[in-house]
Amino acid sequence: MRSNFANSGKLVRFMLRRERVTSAIWIIVVALFSAGLAPAMDQMFSEPGARQQFGESINNPVMVAMMGPTYGIENYTAGAMYANMMLLWIIIAVAIMNIFLVVRHTRADEEYGRVEVIRSAPTGRLAVVNAAMVTAAIVNIILAIALGVALGVVGVESMGFAASMLFGFVVGIAGFVFAGIAAIFAQLASNRSGATGFSFLALGLFYMIRAAGDMQGNDVLACISPLGLAHRSQVYVENNLWPFIILLVEAIGCAVAAYALNAIRDLDQGFIPARPGRSVAAKSLLSPFGLAARILRNMTIIWIIVMFVLAASYGSVIADIPTFVGDSPEYLQVIGIPEQIVNTMTDADKAKIIVDYFGVFVISMMTLVALVPVINTALKIRVEEREGRTEQVYAAAVPRMKYLLGYVILAFVLSILIQFASAAGLYSATSVLEANPFTFDGLLQAFFVYLPAMWVIIGFTVLIVGLFPKTTGAVWGLFGFVFLVSFLGGMPGLLPEWLQNVSPVKHIPQLPLAEMTFTPLIILTVIALVLTVAGFFFYKNRDSVTA
Amino acid sequence: MATLNLETVELSKKFGKVTALNGIDLAVNEGEVFGYIGPNGAGKTTTIRVLLGILQATKGSAKVFGLDAWKDAVEIHKRLAYVPGDVNLWPNLTGGEVIDLFVSLRGKQNKERRAKLLEQFDLDPTKKCRTYSKGNRQKVALVAAFACDADLFILDEPTSGLDPLMEQVFQECVLEQKNLGKGIFLSSHILSEVERLCDRVGIIREGKLVETGTLSELRHLTRITMTVATQSPITGLETLTGVHGIRTQPDGLSFQVDSAQVGDVVSHLAQFGVKKLESTPPTLEDLFMRHYDSANVGV
Repeated sequence: MRSNFANSGKLVRFMLRRERVTSAIWIIVVALFSAGLAPAMDQMFSEPGARQQFGESINNPVMVAMMGPTYGIENYTAGAMYANMMLLWIIIAVAIMNIFLVVRHTRADEEYGRVEVIRSAPTGRLAVVNAAMVTAAIVNIILAIALGVALGVVGVESMGFAASMLFGFVVGIAGFVFAGIAAIFAQLASNRSGATGFSFLALGLFYMIRAAGDMQGNDVLACISPLGLAHRSQVYVENNLWPFIILLVEAIGCAVAAYALNAIRDLDQGFIPARPGRSVAAKSLLSPFGLAARILRNMTIIWIIVMFVLAASYGSVIADIPTFVGDSPEYLQVIGIPEQIVNTMTDADKAKIIVDYFGVFVISMMTLVALVPVINTALKIRVEEREGRTEQVYAAAVPRMKYLLGYVILAFVLSILIQFASAAGLYSATSVLEANPFTFDGLLQAFFVYLPAMWVIIGFTVLIVGLFPKTTGAVWGLFGFVFLVSFLGGMPGLLPEWLQNVSPVKHIPQLPLAEMTFTPLIILTVIALVLTVAGFFFYKNRDSVTA
Repeated sequence: MATLNLETVELSKKFGKVTALNGIDLAVNEGEVFGYIGPNGAGKTTTIRVLLGILQATKGSAKVFGLDAWKDAVEIHKRLAYVPGDVNLWPNLTGGEVIDLFVSLRGKQNKERRAKLLEQFDLDPTKKCRTYSKGNRQKVALVAAFACDADLFILDEPTSGLDPLMEQVFQECVLEQKNLGKGIFLSSHILSEVERLCDRVGIIREGKLVETGTLSELRHLTRITMTVATQSPITGLETLTGVHGIRTQPDGLSFQVDSAQVGDVVSHLAQFGVKKLESTPPTLEDLFMRHYDSANVGV
């Protein structure tokens, strides 16, 4: 029995070493981001009773389905509001970290043939999965402490140190349950993407089970989900310990199940057999464009769904935004309402102004997020080149320009599709409201008006792929710059005007608040075309770079 | 005179200051298997990449079917099949899909040939590429190449992951294509394979082509190993020109002789009453080993 776990300890040290950057970044980002929001939520409501009012306003089925049941409403403190609104999202982020971590060290390493080498050393049959779970446990404990301390010291009155530590550990243990779930799927599925995919599916299902349970007020149903269970801790109000204990038992149960499954299976095998694929290719695959489309298919579909859902979730809160930000001048500034308008707006038109500005804010932010898959699509040919796969395509009578064109067309098409999906998502959520602040045409225009700016960034990407294939990081540099200008550009004196003007997004008229002007759009489109054509020229005339 | 399939003249390629290829002259005819051998890092793959128009030559010319390898790459590739040394495939496509893709990008598909090759190479086309071993990935690339109706095959160490049985299948496929009059450019480390398949051989070392010719031509330039047993002890052998590496064997002597000096040596040996005389031509490995060791270059 013991020999099954031989050398687990050394493997744990080795895994922690491999985790030292990735997990450290996750922990720091989660702790700082979570703790940073706490004072903001505290200061949002200056008048007593305003928070109470807000708490009552979010105690409706839609919001409960999204964030879990509202609790502590009798005395709605900043702590109660914070835990109520943030706990689930932080757990989801940490669950994603855990899924990646466990799959990385188990099924992925197995697929790459590394587990085989480790097993050839005097290590136990279960040592790898055991070490991965221990590593996950250690990472979650560090995260729990970091998060707890960060929340405890951030100085919000209603968020005491002990309760903050409980918050941290509830997040940690819920995340660890998903480490266990990922460990089970790492045994069941027969490859890396299967294990990751099934684990994410489980996370999504548990979120929906909890949402259904919470919406119906069915506690038992909600507590089937680790997410629902964690929410029952009611941190900063009741500070229940029992959900933590049940979650710990669940996590250990998952780990034991994963060990048992690991013990009875062969290396490289899974219980869910990999479906045999097509023996003959579909017609649609058999062209350079078809190949590019197939390579990008899954990523594209997932992103379109994600953007639709993200837009819909913004849409579902938009009616509550005026109450949410109503009293906080900082928030009014964050969503970009100029000071003179804040000072002159009357209570009557206040709600409408806030919704309009928030809409513009959401649209510009969604556009920036949409740039991620669009850039990735345009960069994909470079990834293919680096991994040595373009070589065989070009050896098969495919003109280089034609293959590049496939990816570039897909990037342009994706920019349009994704803006459409965002507009549709936002509209679908607001259309159930009594007074829909948007029209579909208006939203579509407001999203599509950003396209020329997105195209400039596609053009820049193509240029880099053609001219400096080894420094594609420059594209993400530009992306970061554009992001910075969009969100901090409004702060006086931070970035000089001329520098801000480098960002293509800066020149887009923000509909429906701004007047529509075509001149910048035409100029941006021309720039995009010039950059793209230049990229093609350089790509045609350069060597293939596999490094 | 056979038509040229592939020709390079004074081909050079520099990466920055590093010279990867230095004045390579190659020619492959129709119906000919050309073996391209050399140590790791000698420039074999770089040569192939230039021939495929993936890298642009710094100097000299590379022509395939009389067309420029860089400018007319697409036109050339319609009649060319390629198997890379390191086969990288798309993890989420099946082997069958990849084969169809590569064949159809070049031209028409031939279902019968595809089925026959899949059977010969014993390959399951329904599996995702991520699950294939190195050998199976190589089989995918080989089936895709031989299923094409190509006139020239460029094969970069195509059998390094194959088992002996599959190696046999591969050799049959190459000979079949050769008999159809196709040109084959085979870069390989497996010298027995090159010896069995190739009509002509080129040896590249540090970016330079150090030897090229038919195997018998190459052998002619080198030494023959002789083992001899005589009635009376041999004397004076070491004084002859062109004799090297004399060693005493249980029943006589063994030594190497420059091909040109064989006659002199045999008449010298005759005076001692030859009981037994064996002569072995150098193996390709012998030729090759000389070029691995830089001290022996030009011997």
